[in-house]
Amino acid sequence: MTSTDLSDRAAPAHVDPTPIPSNGPGSSALTRRPHDDELLAARLVPLRCKGQWIAAAAVVVLFTMLVNTLVTNKRFQWDVVGHYFLREQILKGLWLTLWLTAATMICGYVLGIALAAMRLSRNAILRTLSFGYVWLVRSVPPLVQLLFWYELASLYPRVSVGIPFGSEFVTVRTAHLFTGILAAFVGLTLDVAAFSAEIVRGGILAVDHGQSEAAQALGLGRGRIFRRIVLPQAMPAIIPASGNLLIGMLKATAIVSVIAVQDLLYSVQLVYQQNYLIMPLLMVATIWYIILTTVLSIGQYFVERHYARGRGNSARRGFWDVTRGNIPLFGRSRRELAGLS
Amino acid sequence: MTALRPRAATATASRAADDALVRVRGLQKSFGTHRVLHGIDLDVREGEVAVLLGPSGSGKSTLLRCINHLEKPDAGFVEVADEVVGYHLSGGRLHELRPKAITRQRARIGMVFQQFNLFPHMTVLENIVEGPVASGVARRVATEEASRLLDQVGLGGRGKSYPRQMSGGQQQRVAIARALAMHPQLLLFDEPTSALDPELVGDVLAVMQDLAESGMTMIVVTHEIGFAREVADTVVFLDGGRIIESGSPGTVLSNPTHERAKAFLSAVL
Repeated sequence: MTSTDLSDRAAPAHVDPTPIPSNGPGSSALTRRPHDDELLAARLVPLRCKGQWIAAAAVVVLFTMLVNTLVTNKRFQWDVVGHYFLREQILKGLWLTLWLTAATMICGYVLGIALAAMRLSRNAILRTLSFGYVWLVRSVPPLVQLLFWYELASLYPRVSVGIPFGSEFVTVRTAHLFTGILAAFVGLTLDVAAFSAEIVRGGILAVDHGQSEAAQALGLGRGRIFRRIVLPQAMPAIIPASGNLLIGMLKATAIVSVIAVQDLLYSVQLVYQQNYLIMPLLMVATIWYIILTTVLSIGQYFVERHYARGRGNSARRGFWDVTRGNIPLFGRSRRELAGLS
Repeated sequence: MTALRPRAATATASRAADDALVRVRGLQKSFGTHRVLHGIDLDVREGEVAVLLGPSGSGKSTLLRCINHLEKPDAGFVEVADEVVGYHLSGGRLHELRPKAITRQRARIGMVFQQFNLFPHMTVLENIVEGPVASGVARRVATEEASRLLDQVGLGGRGKSYPRQMSGGQQQRVAIARALAMHPQLLLFDEPTSALDPELVGDVLAVMQDLAESGMTMIVVTHEIGFAREVADTVVFLDGGRIIESGSPGTVLSNPTHERAKAFLSAVL
């Protein structure tokens, strides 16, 4: 520490009119003042905000009230919740929710990436097709789409494969083709495709054009440039929005209960329609949705960290550092992390 | 400058008596209504270092980018090693090549950018081996070669770093190593030192000078007059999309005849 630093810090406490010494290389004699040792030994105390503590107290009180009502209100009937939580029919519904979400997301994203590539292509027909698709699907509520596919038989009683306006090779009755589960899968996949196309397109546009030029100059082919250079760099922009879409879709699958597909929600509905224990059974479904969402959020963290490669150290913080950093009132660690981010 | 002659029937045909590696003829390019290049004629011999000088907006970068078909010309053509870049002649017309064929041509033309354009999600070593691996070189072989190239540009042992962990000068040297990994016949430099802090420029220019001395054919857009004077064989001065002066550095830099060249040089020197 130089003498100027010290005298600056101590200045308000002093009336001693010692001139501030020059800080040049030749100033060998540092000034000394009586407080110096005490100042150097003193521990530094950061500023504490009173408002923060008041807010914290309020949050703690509200949180305690919430826990209190969950525990003391007998009408939640936690014993019933516990009784049904791991029942086979509930777990079956849970399993359907899980795989329906996974299948619609995977197929939807494959379609969505293709739609995004079409939208960014030089071919005007592909661009228009992609735009039209996204416009149409985003305009129709998913519930309406679901009902539409489910009721397709009333519009087209038979579906056949053949030459357009010519002879037909294979004919299937639509009512046999579109069971509830297939209607759910198709409706939700088409919905995911439209939304993911926009997410992927946004991510691709966020990648600096110089990157694909550099790859072209290296003699990489177009497919390889998209796969190896552009898409990995688009990922940091794509993943948060995709995580959002995934979690949204996990819960949106609940709408399939209207076409009698036995997902998590429909499973609990079947139970409470018999025993009228509506709230406890809704709590069963709610807790399962919370658990799944939590797992997905953690997964999203690890995927985001993977794609943060080469972006400096702040993106490489450990899981618990990030978690603690996001939960307020963790005092020191939070401030330290804030400096890093 | 040589007279126009019919293009060799195949790419492997022996080169004509002149040793021009790059031949630009009648090259025109517009962006919208703005004409950037007004018919450029240029020859660069094998092993020659050509420096393109000129005020900003004079078309230097566009000319460079036309040479590896990052920009498509509106008229005229570019020939590199007896092959028209981006097109093939048939029935008296130049048909644009399929992307695959252009990719193959570009593999022989290295390019170094002002903003480096390293791939930030890949380590330095991965950046360098990406091109060779894509063109079919075994990853192990490419990696060994990459380490050697890193030594050559003075960055031995930095292969595991990510580009953002390096200074601009180091990144640009990695970009040069990346271009060299493809064993290009020709290297294009688009203002390679313009985005660097002044104290980092020297390292990059030193690497470029080594390359020039090793016989690499180079076309360099730069504002480093010192580099042009010491390293260039030919200095080409562009203004308003035309070549207004070209010749040895001694002639063009010391005794420019054109008014615009005189004004530009007195401003930058």
